[in-house]
Amino acid sequence: MFLTLLKKELFIEFRSREVILSMLIFGLSIILVFAFTSNVSKVIVTNYAPGMFWIMVLLVTVLGVHRSFSYEKEFDAFSLLISSPIDRGLIYLAKWISGFIFLTIMEAIVIIPFFKFLLIEYPSDLLLSVVTTLLINLAIMSVASLVSGIAMRANLSEVLVPILFFPLVSPVVIAASKISAGIMAGDPYQLWQIWLLIVISIIVIFSLVGYTLFDFITEE
Amino acid sequence: MQSFFKQKINIISLLTVTVFMLFNIWNIIYNTPMVPEQHWAQKIFYVHVPSAWIGFLSYFVVMISGIMFFVKGNDYWDRVSLAAAEIGTIFISLVLITGPIWATPIWGQPWIWEPRLTTTLILFLIYVGYFMMRSFGGHVERVKRYAAALGIIAFVNVPIIFVSVQFWAPEIQSHPQVEIAKQPSDILGPFLISLGIFTLLYTLMLKYRIHVIKIKNKVVANV
Repeated sequence: MFLTLLKKELFIEFRSREVILSMLIFGLSIILVFAFTSNVSKVIVTNYAPGMFWIMVLLVTVLGVHRSFSYEKEFDAFSLLISSPIDRGLIYLAKWISGFIFLTIMEAIVIIPFFKFLLIEYPSDLLLSVVTTLLINLAIMSVASLVSGIAMRANLSEVLVPILFFPLVSPVVIAASKISAGIMAGDPYQLWQIWLLIVISIIVIFSLVGYTLFDFITEE
Repeated sequence: MQSFFKQKINIISLLTVTVFMLFNIWNIIYNTPMVPEQHWAQKIFYVHVPSAWIGFLSYFVVMISGIMFFVKGNDYWDRVSLAAAEIGTIFISLVLITGPIWATPIWGQPWIWEPRLTTTLILFLIYVGYFMMRSFGGHVERVKRYAAALGIIAFVNVPIIFVSVQFWAPEIQSHPQVEIAKQPSDILGPFLISLGIFTLLYTLMLKYRIHVIKIKNKVVANV
């Protein structure tokens, strides 16, 4: 059933491309703004680059999850979805994993302009960067999907999602910046392993809490 | 519905808490020792720490009542949850106000990114969102469930936020690492009295707010 729900999310997106396209264009616009406003020495930009990258990802995530959950509001599709005989926790998992896929695709495209526009060098250990970024994406999306699931059918959801999401995701942001900064500086794994553990614990906690709570949140 | 203070037990509780709190203030000002180098600023410790205790206790109550609301589906737990969230936020605001008042003369600046203060600030921001959800969320029954979920997530997130901030700025650990049991008895005694009186005040406030919310919900339902 999970795969069916995930397929539904991916099918809708790959037919309309609304979420990925809007995330992509928004992400590129943010990078452009960063490039215009950080006309300082390369050393300073390199120091701030991990923070800039994750700020961009957070802003883009808000846009993405909001759009992804808005689909469900049209023609009250969500009511039909939750009235079907499925485990509602799986709806959360499908939203989470599809959001993760969209975010990863967006990042894979904007990462080159990010480094090129800001005139900074790629991290030396690309494989490690990719693996940690994937884990961080999972953590960010686990929080974002849950918050969006809570706020989706409330009034002013477009305001509530960022207001609730940013403080809740703050541990991930701290961890993400530290991990990326560590990798870019070529620090040994031992120096930033604690941050990876924090990211993994967030993935575990939020996936379990989200899976359990979604059933109650979506009750009619 | 009978007025809250028309019940004997409540008016007695109110009078008792008022007398105790006045005694507490007098006790803090006149009966606690002046700590060298901190002078009057240290006295805020007797209000700041109990406020933090009540704030976090209250948010814990929000989480428990959120779980109970989901399990029992009873509106009573929603009222407890909302009342505890309101009172918790008042006390967390007090922590965020008294912290910088203490920090300005002691640290020389009102704010540093110390884990306890930062965790408190993040929790405060989450609860600002919580109240926005409660106020503007729309559909009353749905909002109750969203609020219960949010109360659970907010408290579950506390240890992660705390650990993250602690490792984020390990050099900033200038919060007084007060080991309560090691304090001299002339500090420990008034502190525990203050903690007890604040807890009594909290119990009364919680009971009162639950009552008020019940009346408010009835009025709204009849409109």
